[in-house]
Amino acid sequence: MITKQTIAIIGATGKMGSAIAMKLANGNYRILLFGKREAALQALQAAILEDYPFADIEPITCSYAASWEADIILLAVPYAAEKEIAAKIREVANQKIVISISNPGSAAEELQQLLPHSKLIKAFKTSSTDEVALAGNDVEALAAVAELVLSAGFRPIIKGKLSTTKILEPINF
Amino acid sequence: MYDLFFQKFNEKVALTAEEADLLKTYLTPKKLRKKQYLLQEGDVCKYTAFVVKGALRAYSIAESGQDQIIQFAIEGWTISDLYSFITGEPATYNIDAVEDAELLLLSKSAHEELLHTLPKYETYIRLQVTGAYLALQKRLTAAASLSPEERYTRFQEQYPELVQRFPQHMIAAHMGLTPETLSRARRKMKSK
Repeated sequence: MITKQTIAIIGATGKMGSAIAMKLANGNYRILLFGKREAALQALQAAILEDYPFADIEPITCSYAASWEADIILLAVPYAAEKEIAAKIREVANQKIVISISNPGSAAEELQQLLPHSKLIKAFKTSSTDEVALAGNDVEALAAVAELVLSAGFRPIIKGKLSTTKILEPINF
Repeated sequence: MYDLFFQKFNEKVALTAEEADLLKTYLTPKKLRKKQYLLQEGDVCKYTAFVVKGALRAYSIAESGQDQIIQFAIEGWTISDLYSFITGEPATYNIDAVEDAELLLLSKSAHEELLHTLPKYETYIRLQVTGAYLALQKRLTAAASLSPEERYTRFQEQYPELVQRFPQHMIAAHMGLTPETLSRARRKMKSK
């Protein structure tokens, strides 16, 4: 895609969130970093800019605002926190791509119920270190996230619909 | 967030509360910062954008490097590269925000689904497209037959809100005039 997409990383200051932010910093994305700890957000921004001075990144302390501006929303938070976030951002995540990297299984269906009109994509690890597996029901959303995964330096493997995630491993860098 | 959208919709076609709720589920709320692109030429235009707040423009870039502004959109207006949206071919327009904007986007797939499931939506689209076509016919006639001053006068009369909202060099780019010609036209108007 030529047009720069905006991605909101919810839970950016966590281990997964910050690793993903760093991987995407050199790509054609505007990255909004959401976390509850402002100092940690600033530190992450500084760390990213040190490696990638031209990265288009901004810390935001409101998940609603970040999701409103985003084209893609990435939930880099534990499963327990996903439900709380989903309820907060539901209105502005409508019809948008939401990526979940939490422990798969029935969690996917529960999350889809909380975000009924969002295009949910589960991302998880395979046995290969340079691969990221994706599952989702929306073909265009899968393609957009596959592009994101490539941009982060991994090979995307499309596993199929959300229901296939019940038997697969959680993502871990 | 949705008030203006449904107000404009109901001006064309009246929706029941249930129909409005259904339509709402298809809308994508999107915030755009000033100078951010909604669409760059070469990408397929996947959305039509309804402006809730702010101002956008659609433009193509001539070989000379000059911006040719095809369309403006402010609160209550809709903007897209319609050719790309309908055909699925790469867009020839760029669309960006001239002011920070709040939009409601409707994707191509949402549009297709609504055409089948909500007959009033089809009526709304028919009225929107017909209106746009009529405006285009008037614009083509004016471009072919009127002097720059006359064209500017007519534009000013029809769309005073656009003249107020957008910088003069953008209005000039829209009318295919150099800023100098536009200044001259405005001075002539004032001296009358």
